[in-house]
Amino acid sequence: MNRYAGTFALARHALRRDRVLAGVWVAVLTLVVYASAAATGSLYPSVADRVDAARALNASPAIVALYGPVLDEHSLGELAMTKLTVLYAVFVALLVLVVVRRHTRGEEESGRAELLGGTAVGPGAQLAAALLEGTAIAALAGVLAAAADVAGGLPLIGSVAFGASWTGIGLVSVGLTAVACQLAASSRTCAGIAGAAIAACYALRAVGDVGPTWLSWLSPFGWSTRLSAWHDPRWWVLVLDLALALVLAGGAQALRDRRDLGSGLFAARPGPARGSPRLADALQLAWRVHRTALLSWTVGAAAMGGVLGAIAPGVKDLLDNDAGRRMLESIGGAGALEDSLLAAVLSLAGVVVTCFGLSVVGRGGADEHDGRTEQVLATATSRTQQLGASVVVATLGAAWLLAVTGLATSVGLGRDPALLTGAALGQVPAVWTVLGVAVLLFAIRSRWAALGWAVLGAVLAVGQLGELLGLPDWVTGLSPYAHSPAMPLERWSAGSALVLTTLAAALLASAWWRYRERDIG
Amino acid sequence: MIDQRLTAPIEVRGLVKSFGSLRALDGLDLTVTRGEIHGFLGPNGAGKSTTIRALLGLLRTDGGTATVFGLDPWRDAVAIHRRLAYVPGDVALWPNLSGGETIDMLLQMRGADPRQGHREELLERFQLDPTKKGRAYSKGNRQKVALVAALAGDVELLVLDEPTSGLDPLMEQVFADCVAERAATGTTVLLSSHILSEVERLADRVTIIRAGRAVESGSLAGLRHLRRSRIRAEVTGVVPDLGAVDGVHDLDQDGQTVTCTVEPDALPRVLGALTAAGVSALTSAPPTLEELFLDAYRA
Repeated sequence: MNRYAGTFALARHALRRDRVLAGVWVAVLTLVVYASAAATGSLYPSVADRVDAARALNASPAIVALYGPVLDEHSLGELAMTKLTVLYAVFVALLVLVVVRRHTRGEEESGRAELLGGTAVGPGAQLAAALLEGTAIAALAGVLAAAADVAGGLPLIGSVAFGASWTGIGLVSVGLTAVACQLAASSRTCAGIAGAAIAACYALRAVGDVGPTWLSWLSPFGWSTRLSAWHDPRWWVLVLDLALALVLAGGAQALRDRRDLGSGLFAARPGPARGSPRLADALQLAWRVHRTALLSWTVGAAAMGGVLGAIAPGVKDLLDNDAGRRMLESIGGAGALEDSLLAAVLSLAGVVVTCFGLSVVGRGGADEHDGRTEQVLATATSRTQQLGASVVVATLGAAWLLAVTGLATSVGLGRDPALLTGAALGQVPAVWTVLGVAVLLFAIRSRWAALGWAVLGAVLAVGQLGELLGLPDWVTGLSPYAHSPAMPLERWSAGSALVLTTLAAALLASAWWRYRERDIG
Repeated sequence: MIDQRLTAPIEVRGLVKSFGSLRALDGLDLTVTRGEIHGFLGPNGAGKSTTIRALLGLLRTDGGTATVFGLDPWRDAVAIHRRLAYVPGDVALWPNLSGGETIDMLLQMRGADPRQGHREELLERFQLDPTKKGRAYSKGNRQKVALVAALAGDVELLVLDEPTSGLDPLMEQVFADCVAERAATGTTVLLSSHILSEVERLADRVTIIRAGRAVESGSLAGLRHLRRSRIRAEVTGVVPDLGAVDGVHDLDQDGQTVTCTVEPDALPRVLGALTAAGVSALTSAPPTLEELFLDAYRA
């Protein structure tokens, strides 16, 4: 039988299953590209304005680390796409990660891959179909981004090169995810490996962009900047993306051939024959299930905070001019430069740690769907304990991660730990509010647990687009994050913290009330 | 205060549960008395699991009454669950927890001490390796993890939902022995299944349900018509007239081949007649549940 028999049918089926997720995700990204392209022209009307802004950006190592440098200070396109060239390309990489993992390791873990493997489908077809689907989505994201740039008034050649850089990142992510999904038997671990690889590429570029440039050339994200899309593009850089993606995809196929369906490349280690005497209630179980993830997140948060703290002091004097201040206003707010930068970074951290909480809530949905919750509730565990366990791990875990981020930033920066840890914790009420919505959705119906991610996506989209499209305040105000104080720039505001915390508590209380009343399963 | 010894461990009257337009339970009655093994029989989709999940307080019912140990499964779930153990039909384990950890955790969550009881002995008898991670177990082994967790502690009631699906015949025998031993010490057992012979081997009484209603309930002796065997024989001599024998039903003759269903009491006479006619091939099988239902509806 042909090794790849059925690949196209499987890829079509995969695209069909992902049409809403991928469709909405790509549409939001396209809209952000368009809004950024269209808005920047009026924000910086003259060439002189742009040069000032670009110099201000380049003068701040922290901003360069976050967004990459502006290579051509005269280019409108490059300025408009500052945030999008590498930072938002991460979202393209993440979308591809989600769909490729879903159709490779996810299908193996659920047993559906075995079901399909028994049909007239070639042994290489399932992986090939996932690669094909990921490639199609990466291509679509690139084409739409290019079109959105053109529609937003940017030059054609640059727009095409920019779109191609997104597709390139997408393709590399296809390859990375495909390899990661061969390594471990757990779909969650595979996502962790792929995510860590993407984060490592990003960090490599960040360090290279503020330090030795050759390091940036080792990262696909560095290539996206060095492509120089808006000024005499180096088209050959795209070949690097393509070559890396092909090598990774070939490697994934080779690894797939060397293992059995459902197993990982790393041999599964045996576990303890006896359980800990402490593992005796729902909270201990939740802690046991999520502790490894929380540990990895803690390491990530500490690294992110430490690096940003170490780079931040460079901004002090360099950015102190008109354009620099205007630039910072657009990302964080007016005022002391270092503080506004820290505030911008910490608010980003708030969004990122929300993802940890959402993954805990989503796991609750999967546990109920698979029947694990039923077994726990058939013991002397009340519904309150069962729901409470997830809520405690999600909310306290997120708060802990924010505290770690703040503390690590202060260590990197050499500033008062209490101030920055407090500033990071200022994000907690907003994070809890989003988690509260997610928990309520789960409590209404277990299948809605994953909708928390859609809520986060919508909140972010409103925040990003609201500013660029000039949406009314009440629309942007729907985002809980919009009500977090920009600490340490602003003072902590008891009012908004109280309102958000009360809201979060009300959401959790409704969730608890509903969870006690509904059918399980 | 109701005397605990007099209350039936499970008492269900006219239970109704709808999922949207589907009426999964439609006035179900079920009584399980103290110390018995009660077979709960029905084809797939008859409402067995729905009943069990309602008895565990996982589902809110729409009508009728259900009590477990005289308590309301919805309101008093925790108090009830301290006294019972449950094995679901399709066991899902925690991917990162080893089998041993899962067993100890479930026991401790019920308030039992995993260091006492029959855990080690059961692991031995079921030939289960407790050090494997949850995701590495096959379906049968996942079932064994849940069975060991349920059988290891001393409980008053075992609720087993198609517990042998996925077990091989040797392990089914081990399971049957273990359940019989538990019952001998006074544990009440509710055993759901869609296989009559499995329940027949263990149960004192059975309830048969179909489309959310109990269609038969009683002791196996009282339900003797359920125990007819289906016989198919080829004879070399003159085909005997089995229709004249009391207790023979569904007689069909095709050349030298006879098929019929036979009540236990009539078996010696039927076999005698067949032997006299020079039987050359003989198969005997218990009736399937579906055949029983057909009988029940024809009658």
